[in-house]
Amino acid sequence: MGRYIIRRLLSLIPVLLGVSIIVFFLVRLIPGSALQMYLGTQVEATAEQMVELQRLFGEDKPVPVLYVEWLGRIMTGDFGHSLRTGRAVLPDILSRLPLSLEITLMALVLALAIGVPLGVLSSLKQRPFTDITIRVTGLLGLSLPQFWLAALMVMAFSGFRGWIPMGNFISLWDDPVKNLRMLFLPSLAIGIGLAAVIMRYTRNSMLEVLQSDYIRTAKAKGLSRRTVIVRHALRNAILPVITVAGFNVGYLLGGAIVIEEVFALPGMGRLALYAIYQRDYPVIQAIVLLIATLFVVVNLITDLIYALVDPRIRLDEKAR
Amino acid sequence: MKRFSFPLVVLALMLAMPALSAFAAEKTLTIGVDQEAIGLDPNIVTAFSSHRRIDLLYNRLVRIDDKLAIVPDLAASWENPDNVTYIFHLRRGVKFHNGREMVADDVAYSLNRVLDPKTASPGRSYLATATSITAMDAYTVKIILSGPLPSLLDGLSSNNLAIVPKEAVEKEGNLQKVAVGTGPFMLKEWLPDNSMTLVRNPNYFEKGLPLLDKVIFRVIPEQASLYAGVKSGELDMATISEGAIVRQAKKDAKVTVMSKPGINLRTFGFNNTRKPFDDIRVRQALALAIDRSEIIAAAEFGMGQATGPLPVSVVEWALPPASLPFAKPDFDKARKLLADAGYPAGFTFKIVTASTYEGGLAVAQVIQNQLSKIGVKAELDVVEWGVYIDRWVKRDFDSMVEIRGGSAEPDRFLYRTLHSTGGVNNFLFKDAEVDKLLDQGRALTKNSERKAVYDKLQTVLTEKAPVIFLYSPMENQVMGKKVSGFKQVGNGSIFYLSTTTVSN
Repeated sequence: MGRYIIRRLLSLIPVLLGVSIIVFFLVRLIPGSALQMYLGTQVEATAEQMVELQRLFGEDKPVPVLYVEWLGRIMTGDFGHSLRTGRAVLPDILSRLPLSLEITLMALVLALAIGVPLGVLSSLKQRPFTDITIRVTGLLGLSLPQFWLAALMVMAFSGFRGWIPMGNFISLWDDPVKNLRMLFLPSLAIGIGLAAVIMRYTRNSMLEVLQSDYIRTAKAKGLSRRTVIVRHALRNAILPVITVAGFNVGYLLGGAIVIEEVFALPGMGRLALYAIYQRDYPVIQAIVLLIATLFVVVNLITDLIYALVDPRIRLDEKAR
Repeated sequence: MKRFSFPLVVLALMLAMPALSAFAAEKTLTIGVDQEAIGLDPNIVTAFSSHRRIDLLYNRLVRIDDKLAIVPDLAASWENPDNVTYIFHLRRGVKFHNGREMVADDVAYSLNRVLDPKTASPGRSYLATATSITAMDAYTVKIILSGPLPSLLDGLSSNNLAIVPKEAVEKEGNLQKVAVGTGPFMLKEWLPDNSMTLVRNPNYFEKGLPLLDKVIFRVIPEQASLYAGVKSGELDMATISEGAIVRQAKKDAKVTVMSKPGINLRTFGFNNTRKPFDDIRVRQALALAIDRSEIIAAAEFGMGQATGPLPVSVVEWALPPASLPFAKPDFDKARKLLADAGYPAGFTFKIVTASTYEGGLAVAQVIQNQLSKIGVKAELDVVEWGVYIDRWVKRDFDSMVEIRGGSAEPDRFLYRTLHSTGGVNNFLFKDAEVDKLLDQGRALTKNSERKAVYDKLQTVLTEKAPVIFLYSPMENQVMGKKVSGFKQVGNGSIFYLSTTTVSN
């Protein structure tokens, strides 16, 4: 197991190298440079000033040279400074990461808490009305755009103090109750789409498992309905659901970008969004690398959970 | 001596208590803004959101008041013995937030910092012709110009020319993360993308000001949320630009709305070197097809005021748009002009626009519709804001809808925008008559003489139509009922939070 984890983590190196090249060159391909965004359309600058500005904004050298320089600095842990605020990039990102992770995690928990029971319910109740109601709800959850749902929530709840953050975000450590209340709606807005996906997977998977022979055997043995469903059916049916949930954590994190903006939350997503608007290259690059790392780690965790739930799966090649 | 009866004293005390506690309570105003500040160094920043914090943290030599007139700020008075020499007499006893007295050396240091190409200050052009800025004694500063610059005072009122202490710049490298000004409020805490807390400067030079103990900025990107925040009382005040929301707020008895036409101008400008816009008749035809009031109603929900080349709110200089050519649409005349220019069946061109407020997508849509009435087909080139700026810088467009930052001074705005050598003349407009008038206006110092020049210029510019000046958007503040004493300047400044108070 330990070996497996190390191997997977080592695979991060080529992934991050590839990602770094793509992001470094790609962000510079977008029309509008950091310097242009800084100057906007209203500022006049003399030729002398432009030379100095180009140096300050790192636009005085060819991109490949800049890339090598940047890579060298990153190896030493120096992610540079924001072109706009002048603040060091890494501490700025790390101070916002916990909030984004909290929303992501909360969205995942909500998605599972809503999706799995509904999926099980819908697989058991084959009566048309219940089944159709749940399926239509699921389809709705899947097709409602997050940003639209979020905007609706803001409009509907902004009259209630404390439910919608108003630039007065409170961290989990300072006041857990206020914090969770503030993050409930944003997490729900992101999680509801995944809840629908999870529900559908749970339903299909349950239907398949419920048809299998061992379930019939279990029923014949006289086990209680509850035991059959939870211990025998769900345990097997949940495997594909875990995979889907794991895959989607990355997308939840992406959803956090939009949601943080709508709900005015000071998370990493919002930092990324503004960095892109302003072509703040060092910030964009660092955030993309971080998200890529998170993707890989989350997938690894998913695989580990997989092995934990299903003892038939062995991760170490040796054990095979 | 007669003794007070005990119950009477108790009663008097009880009556006085609420008044006393109200007096002692901290007066805090919470303002909602839709964008986080990008740095706080007054000499360096370009972001509008940064300027709004600097309004309260720093001072300039002179400032613009709510009537858009230039009034003393750090300079108590000034004289110009000739049109290239300015002498400023500073207020005495003004203290920086670090406790040190502000003196003439600081003024010279700050303005020279702006002039230094190494600082790369966006405010450098305000001092374009300055050759020397020196301290004559502790309270006197002299600026010498290489040529006349009647917009100098207006330039000096810019936040980019705010006065900073040398030791703070040297200690921090720049002032992006700290604030060591002379302004009515001092920076206490900054939680990026969340909130910024400013506290009262007890040593502020205007006696008795500011009235508030604390100003808290909260960043809320959604305009609807800003309004909801004021309504629910979580915010005391919010700057709102979306016309639909302002209109809604105006009908709401729970809030007060202050609106004033700002000094920015919405423009529809052409690349004057591209066909068919190199033909004056074509530009005039388009100008005749445009209905400003319809644009204001449809794109801004009425939150704007029609304008000519100078922002209408600058009453001292601006001619009312109705007195200028092409004030009302005239489709027949427009069609005739097009036919004369060789386009009897109209033509097709592109409008570069972006979906940000500045990019004016809604305005472009109304224009597209209006031009179709004279057979001209406008295609909208809707681009992302960064692409928009890129196209602007490269002059890569047929036409563009823009917001132009106007100023209270005609020379400053028109020279850079429409002189053939103007720094932001991206219309690539070159016209001998316009250049001559602009140079004349710059060389004269008496406003009475300059007035005639700029009156003529406004008419000429409207007639030649290198760019069509549409309207000035309203500046809107939505406030709770307990806020009083605020005044709008018109250039976006919230300096008057220093005279604002809240009732408990």
